Amino acid sequence: MLLQDYLINSSQRHPHKDALFFGGRSVDYHTLAGAAHSIAQWILQFKPTAGFRVGILTDDPLEYSAGYFGILMAGGVVVGLNTQTSDRSLLYTLDDSGANFLIAGKKFLPYIKRIAPSLQAVKAVAVTDGAAPARQGKILWENLTTLLGEPPSGETIPPYRSCCDLAQIIYTSGTTGKPKGVMLRHANLIANTESILQYLHITASDRIMAVLPFFYSYGNSILLTHVAAGASLVVNQNFIYPNVILDQMVEYEVTGFSGVPSTFAILLNRSAIDNYSFPKLRYLTQAGAAMSPALARRLGKVFPGAEIFIMYGQTEASARLAYLSPGDLGTKPGSIGKAIPGVELLLLDKEGKKVAPGEIGEIVARGDNIMSGYWNREEETRKVLRPEGLWTGDLARKDEDGYLYIVSRKSDIIKSGSHRIGPKEIEDVLMEHPAIHEAAVVGDADELLGETIRGCIVLQDGVEINTREIIKHCRKRLPAYKVPHRIEIMDNLPKTATGKIRKADLRLPN
Amino acid sequence: MSELQNTIRSFIFENFLFDAEDDALENDTSFLEKGIIDSTGVLELVEWIEETFEITIEDDELIPENLDSIDLIAEFVGRKQHELA
Repeated sequence: MLLQDYLINSSQRHPHKDALFFGGRSVDYHTLAGAAHSIAQWILQFKPTAGFRVGILTDDPLEYSAGYFGILMAGGVVVGLNTQTSDRSLLYTLDDSGANFLIAGKKFLPYIKRIAPSLQAVKAVAVTDGAAPARQGKILWENLTTLLGEPPSGETIPPYRSCCDLAQIIYTSGTTGKPKGVMLRHANLIANTESILQYLHITASDRIMAVLPFFYSYGNSILLTHVAAGASLVVNQNFIYPNVILDQMVEYEVTGFSGVPSTFAILLNRSAIDNYSFPKLRYLTQAGAAMSPALARRLGKVFPGAEIFIMYGQTEASARLAYLSPGDLGTKPGSIGKAIPGVELLLLDKEGKKVAPGEIGEIVARGDNIMSGYWNREEETRKVLRPEGLWTGDLARKDEDGYLYIVSRKSDIIKSGSHRIGPKEIEDVLMEHPAIHEAAVVGDADELLGETIRGCIVLQDGVEINTREIIKHCRKRLPAYKVPHRIEIMDNLPKTATGKIRKADLRLPN
Repeated sequence: MSELQNTIRSFIFENFLFDAEDDALENDTSFLEKGIIDSTGVLELVEWIEETFEITIEDDELIPENLDSIDLIAEFVGRKQHELA
């Protein structure tokens, strides 16, 4: 069993069932599988060597999902790229992953053209509408629209791969440097998909409202579970106008909706949700944080009849590690629940010993869903993949019934909307500004986004500058979601005796 | 171009299109299609419209038909001001 078999099986079982609804269109499983075969055949003509990587940079759900399964059918490794990008981020991810091929939406062509001369490994790019030249420098261009629109020429003969082979690299922000590629095997993603299917009871009759981007692990797990079940995805990843999402939920009679805390905060506070009803909605999932009893009550009111699942996980675990079942939401408020089927979660102290009941320890995870490591980062892999399992960096305690409660994160990762943001990359960009002497970036609690980004800076002696100039500097170099919401100019940054910046002192009390 | 369109245009350029050339955006260009504004950006935009034009935007008015281009915002603000007058 390989990951692409989910699509192949669903297209055989339900060829004319709708797989995707988006932008007023629908695509059935037969068409999606055909498009994936065409992508696979395009890649295979280059006779790539085993283990090759292919980037996907598109916000079109058909291009993304056909690209995803097509790459796997060709025996490649998927690298889903963040569509909120900058030249610098894109160049970094493509070079770091060593991607040989790229599948891209037309909107992203200007980025690709600008960085093309610097790209090290990319040989060929398939882009929508054939908006690109046939050849530019050493890169060959292909018309993605034609590839997706025409039936595949004959059967795809895939190279042999086993479930221990790498299927996907998902980039995730770290606290200490640039984003790291999480390596996931077919077996990792399959184990997680099967486990999620089991506790969410997703079937072919389900329809999910998919608002989370597929290139993050949460969105990726939504794509995989629904394709595996032969269910339908109603995709609108522009969570800009929540009322549009609500209209689509009603129009398509969705049965499930998945979000992060900010998704629900925006729906409850910035939409006309009270004017809607969702009789077919049977469940909601939230990952990213536990849910407060107040929020759970409000959601219960606007989505009566829908079960609420709180989930916990990490990209390093293919997505999911624990969940709180709907029945426990009232009695175990603030909990992330227990390990999902097939996963074991331990609470360990620094020496790797189990902590006593009720004491705080780091969550260490074991299971078939755990990554094989960080791409080309052995040292960082060794820090988290240790004999005991995956050290998550999350500190938690367990109650007498075995329910877990996250106490804090060991890391400085900022969670804003659906993004995990490492402060170091932003600090590096701030430090490139000639007026800045020192910089530290922290998250401030925010009702809608979870956290907003604050850049604390100390200016060079005698320099005066408008903070808008600093934000402008960041805008030019960082994707929009990483740009600080606020810049605070300080006389100096609080430090330890050894000169390390004390970020805890910069954070605002909640 | 009306004064209203000009004011909105300046805000969009200053906050979302730093240093872009003036021809980077037509007044009828969809922000969604061009990927100009994200969900945080819309909240900033709404806050700015409410403060600048002294109007209140209701939750059910947060739709692309009112906010997705310079022209649409100008029409929407014009309508709201007319209602108040």
